Amino acid sequence: MMLPITLTVDGARTTVEVEPRETLADVLRDRLGVYGVRVACGEGHCGACTIQLDGATARACTLLAVQADGGAIRTVEGMAPTGAPLHPLQAAFVAEHALQCGFCTAGMLMSAEELLRERPQASDDEIRAGLAGNLCRCTGYQGIVRAVRRARDEANEGEAR
Amino acid sequence: MRGLARHVADLVRPRQLEAVFVRSPHPAARIGGIDAAAALALPGVAAVLTADDLPHTPLLDSVRIDGLLKTPQPALAGGLVAVAAGGAAAGGAAAGEGLAAGVVRFVGEPVALVLASTRAAAEDAAELVAVDWQPTPFVLEPGAARAPGAPLVHEHVPGNLLFAQAKSYGDPDGAFAAADLVIEQPLIGNRYLAAPLEGRGCLAEPAGDGLTVWASTMGPHLLRRRLAQTTGIAEQLLRVIAPDVGGAFGLKIPAAPEEIAVALAARAVGRPVRWVEGRREQLVAAPHAKDQRIALSLAVSGSGELLGVRATLTGNAGAYSFNSASALIEPYLGAGLLPGPYRIEHVGAEIFSVLTHTSPMSPYRGVGWTQPHTARELALDRAARALGIDPAELRRRNLVTSFPHRSATGMEYDSGSYVESLESAVGLVDASDAPHFAQGEPRSAQDAPASARDAPHFAQAAPRLDPPAPGIRRGVGVTSYVEPAGWGSDGALQSEWSFASHDSVRLQVDPTGGVVAAIGTPSQGQGHATTLAQVVADELGVRVEDVALIADDTNATPVSTAGTRASRVATVIGGALALAARRLRARLLEVAAAVLEAEAAGRGDAPAPGDAGPRGGALSLIDGLVHGGARELTLRELAEAAHFDPALRARLPEPDLLVTQFHDPPATYSNGAIAAVVDVDLGTGGVTVRQLAVVEDCGTVLNPTVVDGQAAGAVVQGLGGALLEDVDYGADGRPRGDSFGSYLLPRITDVPELAIAHHSSPSPLTVNGVKGMGESGAIAAPAAIACAVAAALAADGFTVDRLPLTPARVVEGLTRAAAPANAAAAPASAARAAAAPPPPEPLQ
Repeated sequence: MMLPITLTVDGARTTVEVEPRETLADVLRDRLGVYGVRVACGEGHCGACTIQLDGATARACTLLAVQADGGAIRTVEGMAPTGAPLHPLQAAFVAEHALQCGFCTAGMLMSAEELLRERPQASDDEIRAGLAGNLCRCTGYQGIVRAVRRARDEANEGEAR
Repeated sequence: MRGLARHVADLVRPRQLEAVFVRSPHPAARIGGIDAAAALALPGVAAVLTADDLPHTPLLDSVRIDGLLKTPQPALAGGLVAVAAGGAAAGGAAAGEGLAAGVVRFVGEPVALVLASTRAAAEDAAELVAVDWQPTPFVLEPGAARAPGAPLVHEHVPGNLLFAQAKSYGDPDGAFAAADLVIEQPLIGNRYLAAPLEGRGCLAEPAGDGLTVWASTMGPHLLRRRLAQTTGIAEQLLRVIAPDVGGAFGLKIPAAPEEIAVALAARAVGRPVRWVEGRREQLVAAPHAKDQRIALSLAVSGSGELLGVRATLTGNAGAYSFNSASALIEPYLGAGLLPGPYRIEHVGAEIFSVLTHTSPMSPYRGVGWTQPHTARELALDRAARALGIDPAELRRRNLVTSFPHRSATGMEYDSGSYVESLESAVGLVDASDAPHFAQGEPRSAQDAPASARDAPHFAQAAPRLDPPAPGIRRGVGVTSYVEPAGWGSDGALQSEWSFASHDSVRLQVDPTGGVVAAIGTPSQGQGHATTLAQVVADELGVRVEDVALIADDTNATPVSTAGTRASRVATVIGGALALAARRLRARLLEVAAAVLEAEAAGRGDAPAPGDAGPRGGALSLIDGLVHGGARELTLRELAEAAHFDPALRARLPEPDLLVTQFHDPPATYSNGAIAAVVDVDLGTGGVTVRQLAVVEDCGTVLNPTVVDGQAAGAVVQGLGGALLEDVDYGADGRPRGDSFGSYLLPRITDVPELAIAHHSSPSPLTVNGVKGMGESGAIAAPAAIACAVAAALAADGFTVDRLPLTPARVVEGLTRAAAPANAAAAPASAARAAAAPPPPEPLQ
């Protein structure tokens, strides 16, 4: 039994027929080709599949697609569409070597963007707490903390000018 | 970064089928029969294939060490058949016919492969495949597996003893006889694993008489050879491509039985077949690592001289000696590094590898060196406490200081900063609250040795920690290490390991001046493209942005029998590329000279006096521009002339701009030190790592940012091994660490801000003095953290003899230590009952 749902993914509105049991991750990836959504555990433990649904981070692997019907979804692919310059957070990740294999990066960026949006003055501890749901196995998190700090400070400098 | 990377799970081919394995829920069982009728009835299911359908030659490890018994591993255990109407299967058996002819030897071993149009359909069907499991007795621990009458994992391996060997270097008996102090240090090394965020996986597609296989692998050429050996398809008709790979850390070096099964299945059904490993599937059924039982003893003189070390290293081999690396990658390699960075002249090692009904062993960062290193460093700290010597001082006295140094086990340490790195590491942490760390005030940045101070990220002197609160014990641990890195064949031989570890590379300049470097060692996030393009650009004299690296496709790259492993890329591939670039540079300058001569002749100029050097000797190539001639030439002009100008080509002996370069560097050893400060909560047993410093010396640093990234990643993986990660087989033979909810990877909140510093002792033996360093932190960080916990709790009588140091284990140890001496000490780990448990639920 297939149900039609409507999703606005990175600004593109689309209607797709889904099985009730299909996860949002499966639909985004296998139906809509948004492979920037990575699945590493499928059980909500690791955060690799983190997207934003109506502005709030969510795990696409443990969210049924039908639950997102009518929602606006933001993925890493929406942060800097092809041709556009990198989002400041993405630029900070490059500058601070905050990724090695990159499999966790999409989810990390989604969580970090929400964190800085909600707490522009986030302390180091708040940055760590905000990203505690995102596992990384390559970097030991060092570059990631520096990158979020850098993006935080650059945003605040921008504010100050 | 933009979400545009494409891993195996993101690839789709026309008419592709999704594969799901049916895996054993039992650690040991005979397969009475497999009935796939219900599975085949589901819509979308194309086939359910078993070993009978996929005849092949089992996988075998390629290690040539006499005495090592072989345990061939089939791609699918057992045998039976069922084929959907209309589906072709090599076995040709009729649908529904079920013959049992097989045995499974560990939970998760694959017995059948379901192919369906969608992953969901394949998973639904896999649950409907009815297997007549006939559980048999099983054994999970080496001790139990060696007991008389223990169930045999392989009939042809008596006593489950895969390998046994005693080795003696120098005169260990004499050393121990002369010792004033002998420390006995047991260690139950936890079984843990790489657990990269992207699991394994592959997509095989028929291509003429051969196959194209996209695989999440570290060794495309190795996988291609294994496919040829097992499937019978000619190697030249096999093509393996490594797309983007989301981490690997050793797990993806050996060819996986599942990769062989998927290739066979694609051929059997004549359609592309894709397998994407699930997380539980990986944690349970992928090869694990480490899992050594160690009994180490250290002979020490009254003045703190390390006289000798003895160790019995028993590796839990699992059910098969896994194909490329064999189970010996743990105890056998561990034995070679028992002396570590110290001048220990007398070494005795007893090596055992014992089969059990658990998942096989695979290489994982630090391989067999990690756990014996932890045992030795724990023993060293106990000697320091017994002798009243500062632990850093005891190490300093015994570290190798003159090079080259031939270790007792035959390793030739070529250069290093053993003492300086130790001192730098101690200087980077606040050891003031550590009772026995004699160095008092933490050193400020000014006192740190110069080179550590100049390191760009040597941001701060050791930050002062506030004194520990009541109920919190603080401990400091420091460890020195040496890493046999950048293995060429010589390095492998010095580890007494049979392993062809040379490589060839290809370097070419295309007609528009673009440079292409083709290598057989893909990256899984180690920054190869950045680092190696930089080597080529520097050596060739071109801009780094004009260099492209190809490493993913066996059709486009020279054969690399070893692939990416053992921190060898910087030295073996980097060295080969540097040598190739030097030859190609000389050839480019010859072309430039010929062009300039032709132009001069065209102008009627008198030919330049014959300069003595090679043709073009007076010219130089810098950032893609040739200087020193009548005019500057661009790389593009050179390339077009070399490719297209027949008059010019007639003047040149070798006008083509293409070089292949073989390279097999001598052994080289990087070194370093790690210091850890921990707080242990006596109430909860929780261990918090407050400070962690790593000082790395990998000779000439090609790219500091990449090296720091490797150091940080390895150290944090070491932290996971010390405090969090444990596969932890339950009495039912199933891993309890079977999801990221129970197999705990370090999170950002578990990890302090690391202090990373460098010394640089270039190797006198390798090209540009480069050494490998990718595994150092994973070798030594567990020791630094374990020593810190042991130091923190020494006064409470707590001893570290098992990892990981989970809160429960710390509380249990503290309780035991506090119990009146006469109370019967509960054994450190509940003995694992061998009784057959209730049947567990299916694995999916």
